[in-house]
Amino acid sequence: MNSEAMAMKREMEMVQNTEKKKVMKRNYKRELFEKVVETLFLLCAFVSVVSVIAIIGFVFYKGLRPFVGEDAYSFTKFITGTRWAPSENVYGIFYMIVASVLATAGAVLVGVPIGVLTAVFIAEIAPDWAVKILKPAVELLAGIPSVLYGAFGLGVIVPIMKAISPKVHGQSLFAVIIVLTIMILPTIVSLSESAIKAVPRSYTEASLGLGASKIQTIFKAVLPAAKSGILSAAVLGVGRAIGETMAVMMIAGNPTAGLPDSIWSMVRPLTTNIAMEMSYASGRQAEMLFATGVVLFVFIMCVNLAMTFITKKSEEAK
Amino acid sequence: MISRQIKDNMIKGLIYVSSAFSVVILMVIIGFILIKGIPSINKDFLTNDYEDKTTYVTVTQAGTGNTYIEGNQCISENYGITLSVSEEGLSVDSIEKDSVLKLGKDGTNAVYPVKKTDVITKIGSFNAERELKNGASAEEILQSTKEALEISDASMKVKVVRKGGGILPMVVTTLYMIGLSLLIAAPIGILAAVYLNEYAEKGKLMTIIHFAIENLAGIPSIIYGLFGSLVFVQTIKLQYSILAGALTVSIILLPTIITTTEETLKTIPKTYRESSLGLGATKLQTITKVVLPNAISGILVAILLSIGRIVGESAALLLTAGTVAQIPERLYGNSASGATLTIKAYMLMKEENDLSTACAIGVILLAIVIVINMSSKLVTKYFLNKGEKA
Repeated sequence: MNSEAMAMKREMEMVQNTEKKKVMKRNYKRELFEKVVETLFLLCAFVSVVSVIAIIGFVFYKGLRPFVGEDAYSFTKFITGTRWAPSENVYGIFYMIVASVLATAGAVLVGVPIGVLTAVFIAEIAPDWAVKILKPAVELLAGIPSVLYGAFGLGVIVPIMKAISPKVHGQSLFAVIIVLTIMILPTIVSLSESAIKAVPRSYTEASLGLGASKIQTIFKAVLPAAKSGILSAAVLGVGRAIGETMAVMMIAGNPTAGLPDSIWSMVRPLTTNIAMEMSYASGRQAEMLFATGVVLFVFIMCVNLAMTFITKKSEEAK
Repeated sequence: MISRQIKDNMIKGLIYVSSAFSVVILMVIIGFILIKGIPSINKDFLTNDYEDKTTYVTVTQAGTGNTYIEGNQCISENYGITLSVSEEGLSVDSIEKDSVLKLGKDGTNAVYPVKKTDVITKIGSFNAERELKNGASAEEILQSTKEALEISDASMKVKVVRKGGGILPMVVTTLYMIGLSLLIAAPIGILAAVYLNEYAEKGKLMTIIHFAIENLAGIPSIIYGLFGSLVFVQTIKLQYSILAGALTVSIILLPTIITTTEETLKTIPKTYRESSLGLGATKLQTITKVVLPNAISGILVAILLSIGRIVGESAALLLTAGTVAQIPERLYGNSASGATLTIKAYMLMKEENDLSTACAIGVILLAIVIVINMSSKLVTKYFLNKGEKA
C-alpha cells in the first residue's frame, strides 16, 4: 500500500514537473514573441525619426552642393541676387525670400485678427445655431485642396485685382495675401477656439462679478489667458502660409526678376520657384532648386523652433 | 458707461463681421466652383478616358438582314447597329446586345466591344472621315455607309474612335494612390502610436520621436516633393510612378495617423488594460484584444483624414507621381505614372488654361471632402453613443 502510494506520488510529481517545464517553455516563447513585437512597434515609431533625418540630409546635401568645390556658385550672390535666369547661370533668390516673407506677414496680419475674433464668437458669444453653421464651415475650409484655392484665386480674385489694380495684370502680391489669409483662417480659428475654451470658467466669472462687461471680460481676462494658444495658432499659420505652393503659384505671377515695389507687383515666392521648374530641371538648375528648398527649410525650422519655445513657456507657466 | 457700451458694440460688430467672413468666403468659393464646374459634368465626363482613343476593330460577318436608310439614320440589321452622320464620322446611335461589333477584336486580338456614342470613321474601304472633309453631304455619306455595310466579306475592319474628355483615368489613379499610401502608412502609423502610448516610457527616446513627428507635420509638401523626387524617383529609380508618389505621401500622412491614433489610445481608461493584464493576458494580447478594438473610432477617423489629405495633395505628387492622364499599369518604372484628380485640375488650369474643366474636377473633389468631413463626424458620434450605451 505504502510503496504504491509512494509510486503514485512520484508519478504525480513527475507529471507536474513536465507540466511546469512546458509552461515555462511556453512562457519563454511567448516572452520572446512579445519582445519581437515590441521591437517591431519601436521600428515603426522610428520611421518618422528616420524620415525627418533623411529629408533634412538629402535636401541639404543636394542643396548645398552648388556652393562648394570647383565651379562653385557664390552663396552671397545666391542669397542676395534679384534675378533668376538658369539659362545664363544666374541664380538669385533674394526677391523670392522677400516675396515669401511679405506674403506670409500680410496673410498673418490680416488672418490672425479675423481668425481670433471668429474663435471668440464661436467660443463665447455665438448662439447654438450659429456655431452649427460656423464650425462645419471652418472645417470645410480646412479640407478644401489648395489647388481649388488656386482655382478660386485665378477665377475670382485675379479678375477683381485686375479691375482695381493700377497695373495691367491681376496676379500680384495682394492676391497672394488674400488667398493665403483665407487658407490659414481654419488653422487659426480652430486652435484659438480650443485655447479660449481651455481658459477656466472662474476667470470669466470673476471678471463679470467685478462689473466688467462681456466684451471687456473677453478682451481683458479671457484672451490674455489664452495668449500662448493664440500665439501658437499664429505661428502655425506662418508655417502654413510660407509653405503653401500650388494655390500661390497660380496667382503670384512668378516673374524672373525684381523686388516687389508695391502690393500690386507680381511676386515669386520660394515654394513656387521649386514647383515651377522642378519637373524639367537638371544639373545645376535642379541643385539650385534644392538650394531654394534649403532656404525654405530654414524658415520652417525657425517656425518649428518658435513653436517648441512657445509650448515650453506655456507649460512652464502652468 | 455709455462710451463703454458704444465701444463694446463696435467690437461686437467687428466680431460679427469677422465670423461672417469665413462663411461668406466659403460660400463664394463653393459657389464659384459649382457654377463654373457643374455644366461640364455629365456621365461621359465621369466614365470616359481623358484622351480620344482610336482603334481598328476587325469583325467577322455573322447575322443576316437588311441595311436601310431611315430619315437621317442608317440601320443595319446584320450588324445590329444604327448610325447617323456626325461631324467626325458616323456616330453609333444604338447597338444591339448581340451585335457582331460587340465581339470585334483590336490590333492585339483582344475583344474591343463597340459602344453607343463611339464614332465610326471608316468601314472597310469606305473612309467616312475623309469623305466628310471633302465636303460630302450627309445623304451621300449615308448611302455609302449603307453600301459598305451591305458587303458581306469574311472579315471587315472598322475604325472606331472613342471620345475622351473624361476623368476616369484620374479617378482610378486617385483610388490607387489612396489604397497604396494607406497600405504603407496606416500600419506603420498605428503601430507607432501603439508603441508611443503603450510601451514607451517617458524619456529621451519619446521626446525625440515626438519632436520628429511634430517636425514632419510642419514640413511643407513641396519639400516632401523635392525629397521624393530625389530619393524615390531618381536614386531608387522608381521613376515618376504611383509607388514613388505613395511612398512620399505616406511620410506626409504619418504625423496625422500617429497623433490621431495616439490621442484616442490616451482616452482608453487604464482600468481596461489593468483588468486584462490581471486576467493573465500578455501585453500584446491586451493590445490586440482590448486596446485596439476600443480605439477603432480614432483609427477610422485617422484613415478618413488621411484620405482627405491624399485627395488634396498636389505639390508632392506633382514631383513624384507625374502628370500624365492615364491609368498606371504597374507600380513603378515605365508607364507607372499617373495624375490624380487634383494634379489634373492643376495641369488644366496651368497648362491648358481650362478653368471650367478644372472646376468640374473641383466639384468632385469638394464632394469627396464634404463626404469625408461628414463621415468622420458620424464615426465619432456612432462610437460615442455606443460607448455610452455599453
